[in-house]
Amino acid sequence: MSPPTAVKATIISDHPQTYEDEHVHAVYDEIAPHFSSTRYKPWPIIARFIASLPTGWVGLDSGTGNGKYLPLPLNRPGDIWTIGVDRSRNLLSIARKAGEGDVTREVVWGDVLGRPWRDGAFDYAISIATIHHLSTAERRKAAVQRIIQSISPSHGRALIYVWAIEQDDLSKRSIPSDQTAALTDSTGQDVFVPWVLTSPAPKVGPKVKPRRRKQNQQLETPTPETSQEDVARESQQRVFNRYYHMFAKGELTALVHDAARGLALEVGPEPVGSEEKRRGLHIVEDGWERSNYYVEFKCWECT
Amino acid sequence: MVRLITHNLLACHAKGCTTNNFPLQFKDVSIELREAEFNPEFLKGFMPRIEWKALVDAARQLGDTTLPSEMPEMVDDEFLKNLHHALLEVHVEEGAMVCPNCNHVYPVSNGIPNMLLAEHEIA
Ligand SMILES: [Zn+2]
Repeated sequence: MSPPTAVKATIISDHPQTYEDEHVHAVYDEIAPHFSSTRYKPWPIIARFIASLPTGWVGLDSGTGNGKYLPLPLNRPGDIWTIGVDRSRNLLSIARKAGEGDVTREVVWGDVLGRPWRDGAFDYAISIATIHHLSTAERRKAAVQRIIQSISPSHGRALIYVWAIEQDDLSKRSIPSDQTAALTDSTGQDVFVPWVLTSPAPKVGPKVKPRRRKQNQQLETPTPETSQEDVARESQQRVFNRYYHMFAKGELTALVHDAARGLALEVGPEPVGSEEKRRGLHIVEDGWERSNYYVEFKCWECT
Repeated sequence: MVRLITHNLLACHAKGCTTNNFPLQFKDVSIELREAEFNPEFLKGFMPRIEWKALVDAARQLGDTTLPSEMPEMVDDEFLKNLHHALLEVHVEEGAMVCPNCNHVYPVSNGIPNMLLAEHEIA
């Protein structure tokens, strides 16, 4: 029998929305406080991206979770405003209080496939560890298109971050290589990742409050989830299987290209001295960081 | 949270609703005022991105009449403080936002707007 933290291959059996409701949204609503207590440290690429944004910019965090990116950059608070969207109402209750002090964050209950914004209203967008929860290639492409449409066509910048098939050595997760080898190519891999929750859900009391930040920083390692080993030792536990699409090498950047072309955007750097009206999207950087793939792009427009 | 900074960005996205879908109209709202850190540099940077009339109308709907009808070309400290208050210190806690075009109702509860659509309403 495999340990409860092992990753299992999965086949998407239902209507995608129904499937994600059960294997993503319902799970996050259940595990919200515990999940949040393990998610504090921003990954370096994301912190660097946010630190590079000019004062006065307003952005969208699509799939904000517990809102850990909403207070950034910490060294110049309030210079930019990031508005968080998530499908999990319970995570949003945590996100609206994210960060130090008594600052209230802006959060919106919504879906990453929705488009409840003026077109191009934002200066930037981030989508961190979110698109990999969508269960078809079409839906992942649509989510990228919603991001492109939400940012300014002339200067909008975005960063997308998803889980990679290629895991680093720090990750203790076992990836099922044998039974899914056939599925592992440029189209990625569909898996369940268990979240082990000590059960029954604790009554509110001083002993069961989420652990303090200082301790959690010790626990945090740069993988999508790590702390289930700690709680797995407890006798009563419930296992929630979260659906992930693990991205293959090159798949994320190809997805952004595809999404851009689907919106009639050119893909490539902004042309110099163009006389005609053109719109496009330029990949600024892409790569792999600590078990994740990321892509940063910017939009451009010649008028 | 629905503060006017967010309200100024939100638009209706129900199926087929693509024109006159901004700004959403507040309905039966209760508000709370909470102080926020004043950051004039942020405000100056954000100003060109604001839909000004939508902001002024929404602020007036919430009882704040300090903003001028036209966005001023020269900004002084008093104006920036008023803008700061309207954008970042007025919290709509309960109520709803209604689309001026299709009348779709987006509820606000515990300060969080619900912009989800039922599957048949998604464009
Ligand atoms: Zn509408």
